[in-house]
Amino acid sequence: MDMFLYVDVESFVHRLDPRTKLLLMFLSFAVGVMFNNILILTAALALVVAYGALGRSLSNLKRIRVVLVMITLFSLVIWSIARPSGNRFLVFSVDGVLYGLMIAVKTNLMIVAGMIFLSTTKIEEIAQGLVKLKIPYRAAFAFSTAIRLVPMIVATSYTIIQAQKSRGLDLDSGNLIEKIRKYVPLMIPTLISVIRGTNIFSMALESKGFGYSDDRSNLLEIRMGGKDYAMMTAGLLILAAAVVLKVDHSIYDAWASIFPWGDFA
Amino acid sequence: MKDVFSMWKKTKMVVLVALCAGLYAALLIPFKGFVLIPGITEFRPASALPVVMGLLFGPAGAWGSAIGNLIGDFFGSLGIGSLFGFVGNFMFAYVPYKLWINFGKSSEGIGEPDLKSGKKILAYVVVSILGAAACALPIAWGLDLLGMVPFAALGSIITLNNSIPSILLGIPIMLILYPRIKKWDLLWTDIMDEDEIPVAGRLSRIGATVMTVSVLGGMIGGFLAAFGVGQGLLYSGFGAGGDVGSLGVTLVAGVGTAGLIVSSFIQTMPKKSS
Repeated sequence: MDMFLYVDVESFVHRLDPRTKLLLMFLSFAVGVMFNNILILTAALALVVAYGALGRSLSNLKRIRVVLVMITLFSLVIWSIARPSGNRFLVFSVDGVLYGLMIAVKTNLMIVAGMIFLSTTKIEEIAQGLVKLKIPYRAAFAFSTAIRLVPMIVATSYTIIQAQKSRGLDLDSGNLIEKIRKYVPLMIPTLISVIRGTNIFSMALESKGFGYSDDRSNLLEIRMGGKDYAMMTAGLLILAAAVVLKVDHSIYDAWASIFPWGDFA
Repeated sequence: MKDVFSMWKKTKMVVLVALCAGLYAALLIPFKGFVLIPGITEFRPASALPVVMGLLFGPAGAWGSAIGNLIGDFFGSLGIGSLFGFVGNFMFAYVPYKLWINFGKSSEGIGEPDLKSGKKILAYVVVSILGAAACALPIAWGLDLLGMVPFAALGSIITLNNSIPSILLGIPIMLILYPRIKKWDLLWTDIMDEDEIPVAGRLSRIGATVMTVSVLGGMIGGFLAAFGVGQGLLYSGFGAGGDVGSLGVTLVAGVGTAGLIVSSFIQTMPKKSS
């Protein structure tokens, strides 16, 4: 089972430095946070999706489709009921539906931007990028090790579950509460077996010279190139345009007037 | 807060950060489908772990909790909320061990978190609830500030969603794990140098008081400010509508969040032995 979102293909976005991709992701978050206008957010989402297509990572949309659909449905239902409005059909307000749609587009924009980053960047690249961003090596090491440990921990718990099942533990019958009560004790051996390895793990690290020197050499070397600066410039220009759009009321109003019902500024 | 940064010098603490983060993420991921607020939070039995990890592994548990939650977000919900989630989950494990030091009247505090007496179990319940609220406060404040989710609804859902597992599941886990962790010399107080472990004392008490007031003041004051602009608790908070991103909530919960962070730096450190 492949738990991670990384898509192992060759693409322009894959070749970008992880710091560039991190910046572009945060810029997407910033644009998402700045506006409460369906049209502008949809345009930003379209840009993010185009960037994802450039990175050949849109196949992962299928993997997170349940999350995206749930966000959309939840926002539409909740806000269409909650939003105070005089114009209602049964309990649903038209204004609330549009507001819910705006919140859904905003949240999905950030989720999709996060997905593209993870689909095009290897864990070791993320860790190396963090180090280059002056995050202490030990923190970046803990972060990347933790990600690598997740499948191992899941496999350990799966083995424990299988072992208990083979001894006659019935985990399939009963309602949800009963199932939770049966699964909870199985957490304990997993926790103990993982934590028990701490001493050996740290001895292994220190025997390999972990923390011996602050000047480390790395197998994976990342370097900013022309395409990184080009993409960062493009991203910052988009952010600058978004800021102008936000502060210049005449331009904003011209945009908002195209679809006035979708503006909640 | 000194311990939070000086712990990175110890290899064993670095390993514990990775293991705690891995465990927390591994328990969060299978429940990603049990969504409570899409893209924001879900049913989290894994919330049993941060308080336990904080009391056993101190700052390593706090970093592990923050990183583990971020890794959990990698599985479908990485967004702006992840930044606040990082701070919130750090506090979820950090607040309990900070407050634990200050329980009891003696300079030794209430003693080891082995939960072998009713008083210790009560203290565990109190620090769990405060930890859960300390997690909810920055997340709910941040997402309300950005106009994404109402403070009262999100704050109450996260507090309940965190405190119930950390009490119901956390106590038995703690009872089973504590003696083993102690036997393996993996308690953070056994790994860190003595002069880097905060102790009970005047400054620690002031810090704990400011921390408790900030968490409770930020949450309760934030709720009251939120009710004033028409918000409601739990899911009725979505039904009630109300103004999201109001100045009152931003200020009150913001002051609480700032107080929570500032109070982390107020602590008594042991005198250095020459």
